[in-house]
Amino acid sequence: MQLDPVDYAVISQSVLAAAREMGAKLVRSAYSTIVREAEDASAALLDRNGHVVAQAELIPIQLGAISAAFAPCIERHPVETLEEGDFLVNNDPFQGGQHIPDVFIFTPIFVAGRVIGFSATCAHHLDFGGGNPGLNATASDVFQEGLIIPPSKYRYETDWNGGNFERLVAANIRVPSLTIGDFNSQFAANAIGDARVQQLCDKYGVELVEATFVELNAYSERRVRNAIRDLPDGVYHGEDAVDDDGLTDEPLPVRATVTIEGDRMEIDFKGTCPQVSRNLNAPFASTLSAALSSVKSALTHPDIPFNEGAKRPITITAPYGSLLNPKPPAPVRARLEASYRAYNAVMKALSQLVPEQVIAAGFDTTTALSLSHLGEHGYQVYIEIFGGGYGGSARGDGCDAIDSPLSNCRNMPVESLDTEYDYFRVVEYGLLPDSCGHGTYRGGVGFYRRYEILSDNVNFAIYADRFRIEPEGLFGGTNGYCGRCEVQRNGEIINVRSKDGLTLNRGDVLTLFTGGGAGYGDPARRDRELIRHDIEAGLLSSGVAERAYGFSADVIPEST
Amino acid sequence: MRVGVEVGGTFTDLVSIDERGAHVTKVPSVPSRPDEGAFNALLEAKLEIDKVLDLAHGSTVATNAVLERKGARVALITTKGFGDILFMQRHGRRQVYDLHYRKPEPVVARKDVFEVLERILPDGSVEHALDEDHVRESILPRLRDEGYGAVSVCFLNAYVNASHEQRIAELISEAGLDVVTALSSSVCREFREYERASTTTLSAYVQPVIDRYLGDFERRLTAAGFRGRFSVMQSNGGRLPAEGMRRNAITALLSGPAAGVMGAVRLAERSGFDDVITFDMGGTSADVCLVNGGRPELTSEFELEGLPIRTPVLDINTVGAGGGSLAWIDDGGMLRVGPESAGADPGPACYGRGGIQPTVTDAHVACGTLRPEAFLGGRMAIDAEAARQALAPIAEQLGKSIEETADSVIKLANANIVRAIQLVSTERGQDPRDYALVGFGGAGPLQAARVAEDLGTYAILVPPNAGVLSAYGLLASDYVQFETITRRVKVDDDAPRIVREVFEQLRATAVEQFEELGLAKAASLDLVAEMRFVGQAFEVPVELPAGELDELTAAHLRTLFDEAQKRVFFRSGGDRPIEIVSFRLGITAPVADIPPFDMEPDEKAYDPIAWRVFENGRWRDAQVRSRNQMSPGDAVAGPLLIEDTTSTILVPTGWSVRIDESAMLILKRL
Repeated sequence: MQLDPVDYAVISQSVLAAAREMGAKLVRSAYSTIVREAEDASAALLDRNGHVVAQAELIPIQLGAISAAFAPCIERHPVETLEEGDFLVNNDPFQGGQHIPDVFIFTPIFVAGRVIGFSATCAHHLDFGGGNPGLNATASDVFQEGLIIPPSKYRYETDWNGGNFERLVAANIRVPSLTIGDFNSQFAANAIGDARVQQLCDKYGVELVEATFVELNAYSERRVRNAIRDLPDGVYHGEDAVDDDGLTDEPLPVRATVTIEGDRMEIDFKGTCPQVSRNLNAPFASTLSAALSSVKSALTHPDIPFNEGAKRPITITAPYGSLLNPKPPAPVRARLEASYRAYNAVMKALSQLVPEQVIAAGFDTTTALSLSHLGEHGYQVYIEIFGGGYGGSARGDGCDAIDSPLSNCRNMPVESLDTEYDYFRVVEYGLLPDSCGHGTYRGGVGFYRRYEILSDNVNFAIYADRFRIEPEGLFGGTNGYCGRCEVQRNGEIINVRSKDGLTLNRGDVLTLFTGGGAGYGDPARRDRELIRHDIEAGLLSSGVAERAYGFSADVIPEST
Repeated sequence: MRVGVEVGGTFTDLVSIDERGAHVTKVPSVPSRPDEGAFNALLEAKLEIDKVLDLAHGSTVATNAVLERKGARVALITTKGFGDILFMQRHGRRQVYDLHYRKPEPVVARKDVFEVLERILPDGSVEHALDEDHVRESILPRLRDEGYGAVSVCFLNAYVNASHEQRIAELISEAGLDVVTALSSSVCREFREYERASTTTLSAYVQPVIDRYLGDFERRLTAAGFRGRFSVMQSNGGRLPAEGMRRNAITALLSGPAAGVMGAVRLAERSGFDDVITFDMGGTSADVCLVNGGRPELTSEFELEGLPIRTPVLDINTVGAGGGSLAWIDDGGMLRVGPESAGADPGPACYGRGGIQPTVTDAHVACGTLRPEAFLGGRMAIDAEAARQALAPIAEQLGKSIEETADSVIKLANANIVRAIQLVSTERGQDPRDYALVGFGGAGPLQAARVAEDLGTYAILVPPNAGVLSAYGLLASDYVQFETITRRVKVDDDAPRIVREVFEQLRATAVEQFEELGLAKAASLDLVAEMRFVGQAFEVPVELPAGELDELTAAHLRTLFDEAQKRVFFRSGGDRPIEIVSFRLGITAPVADIPPFDMEPDEKAYDPIAWRVFENGRWRDAQVRSRNQMSPGDAVAGPLLIEDTTSTILVPTGWSVRIDESAMLILKRL
């Protein structure tokens, strides 16, 4: 069907807007702090074949592989067999899912009795069962990480809504009051996507809407192919490593081989280390998202809709049984750490092709920190997700203290935590001066967050990375900084490993320090004004300014 | 006599209204000295200043102070351990795939932040008392010596207990320091520390600028013999006497588009339309706002340069679709319009000032919907051939004729505007087909019919003097002020009593302030409770009937909430527990007898002109009239162009137009 550019523009803008509205309303109606304050959730609209047409740009790692989570659902429950009121659900890491807490829900959109697409949402649920509240840092298999919902079909009215599926879920999780509320927000957001697509079909006709779905993908594909075609053909390599598996001190190398041929790109992770016995393994869907996010952000203009078409020119493979494509029943909870190294390895390969467009390695780590407590009224679970500093680039300094590239969680207001949780209190939260790599443009600095524990027997669990291996500088920039975590107890300091758990008691003080990004380019070429500005802002000490830049304190004028 | 003076970026507009009618004066603005433009307009209008009873002023002084970073040097005082509150912000990114992302730059320098040991808990109890010695010994001397123009104070949980913040204000005052002090518990008494600190700090940042500006303005007025009331426009769509604004400047930010909305609302009301969507389209952007029962919708948070501000403001949605928006083809072969604009210089290709890229205005010229001879009442020459030439390369790429291409450009600009309107209507659970569209601004009257066709609007209104509606809106706006407070109240049988108590407390504060400003007479109240299900983080505004609070029950509160949340989320949330999180009270002192805004009868009648417009894929013969050739009573069917001194009104096929006694053009579907 020949599509008029105006119809295309109007309908595609409406579809994109509908996806954004779904995302916004999912967050606004949610209950847990992880969804409503941190916004660890995503939304998208899919066509009849499960190809992502439009997405709300919230969390890259969830977005890149929505169709991977969808495919096994539709394979079991072919689209012709679906009825109005059905929904599909999946969180199985070995069948296209991410990690257990990320539950994907797909609702078919029926127009005149026929499915023309799906509204899809994913939310990170606060606690989804498993061997420890919030997160189980020591799980040795996926079963200890929570309740697995294999790709399945249920009916909203009878199975949810007080039905048996809802009861099964509620019985296996620690804070059902919040989590079931978050599920309801997912259903509500899916209903909004449905309603918007219905309205479009009413107005423009279903043929035109479906033709637009096809063209949206074709359009993104053309633009991505154009971007790849501009690159010189060849084979490029990049490498990075996860600190360790939480048991030993052995680094876990991740290797990417990027091959450019005409308007196609292949990314192969051969040479990556084998899967490990702790939760650092990345399900292949996460690997896909990570590699695609790296390519998308370095090569293409931000206004290209990120959908199935954008992925078509790129083939991604990883050896089965490796850290980036593990066999079941490997634990996968901390899959973002290996995903980030896949992201970094691809970025390093691309830095040889488009040095002006990439950035140096940032802290690029997701730190998940959980504090939970079993009190008289049951469990309370707190999880927060933290980033660090971005890497510097040819255009400027890396961003300070912000969530890392594959995630996009907001921090939780301290006033919100004060109200919701009575067993800890945030007592400090700020930037960490000098915590970045240096260069013509410096990396972004990291930050710290300090908690005072107010009750005994508080369960603390963490996963993080880059506590030992620094983000690598680019084109002469120096390395960024590592993160760390410590507990002060009775005047002593206990150093916490990057993947660890501990029982905390009243009076303990827990501090998380996240790292800063690496520098880009020769530090000697850094603009003196920028150095002066950082010193004045207290982000750079004069000692470090002298060592890194040969910048002498006595030339600094008195502050005005 | 009443006078409204609106200082815009290019022109300063003055509207004076007395018993003989309205008079419009337009002078160039003086960008570096906005008051200069205003006084030039007063001079030019040859007003007897001592006869002016009411002078309302609108300017972008506050907004520009932020955009150009010309506010006061601000010190921030905050809880120990949280000095980086304005630099940490919220840790998320707005463009998720942007590697070069930068956080919005705060208006405070990091070295100007002071931490004090203190901590209040969310129940209002004091965990750590305020370390007053530290304030006296280490902070006050620096505030005195280092030339700060303002101090912003934001302590954790101060929205529950303001005592520590108030103590800081006392200490500053006891020390005899002459600085503006903004307390978060006064400026924005709501939870979420970053948003509250940002709001308070921006208020502190612009307040000395506004204070100085309005002080100088008042002195000049007084010296010229002015004895009336001097008021200024706020972002919430109401005015405030200048002395009120000089005390708390947060509502001065982004007050620019509010006056136009209010002018449109008041004129629509005179013509009998209470439910409207205002549509103000200029050279670079379009502003839209939804109005129910004569009252524009409000929103509680907006951003300026990415910095959040929490205060009730008109819910105006802006898109980069204006007459100057550029049409282009992207690297995926797709036709696009905006967000880049040709601006005023070089402007659209048809201006003949060197612009070569086609704009929306060029597309209108190519479609015949803008007649070159009639642009700005014929005061500006338009090169129709240049418009066609600019469109030619795009037409060739698309394999279409020039007029077809032009038509596509207009439709695309339209699509962006329609999206903006859906955002404030459909997504908020309102059907845009229930509203009349009010088109104004330079390009609004021209584009309105196309927008209305896409939205299914039943009527379009084009007010007289559509290009200077803001200056009129200043005079047509009521005096308004809002009081808000965060207080969590579970909705049970005791809730109605607490609701009454809280609103009584807010009412007393608001009335007292209005009395001080000499405004209490005939003030009306609007009550809103921000409500949610217990456990959620975001609230739905629920309007409560001010006159029926005595009869309010828990069941009534639940019903009102259920209706409000269903509009947004499309489904009932069931019978889970609900709570009120914050209370908002608006106090309004209405302006007596809003004046009409009659046209000045200085336009010539046209002889019949042979003209054609390109419509639905073909050229059609169209009538052309000047506005004053329309007389109340006759309805004329489109296609028709109506031209006046500031704009062209397009009446397409399938629509008819008439003019009413208030000089409003009313377009309806045939």
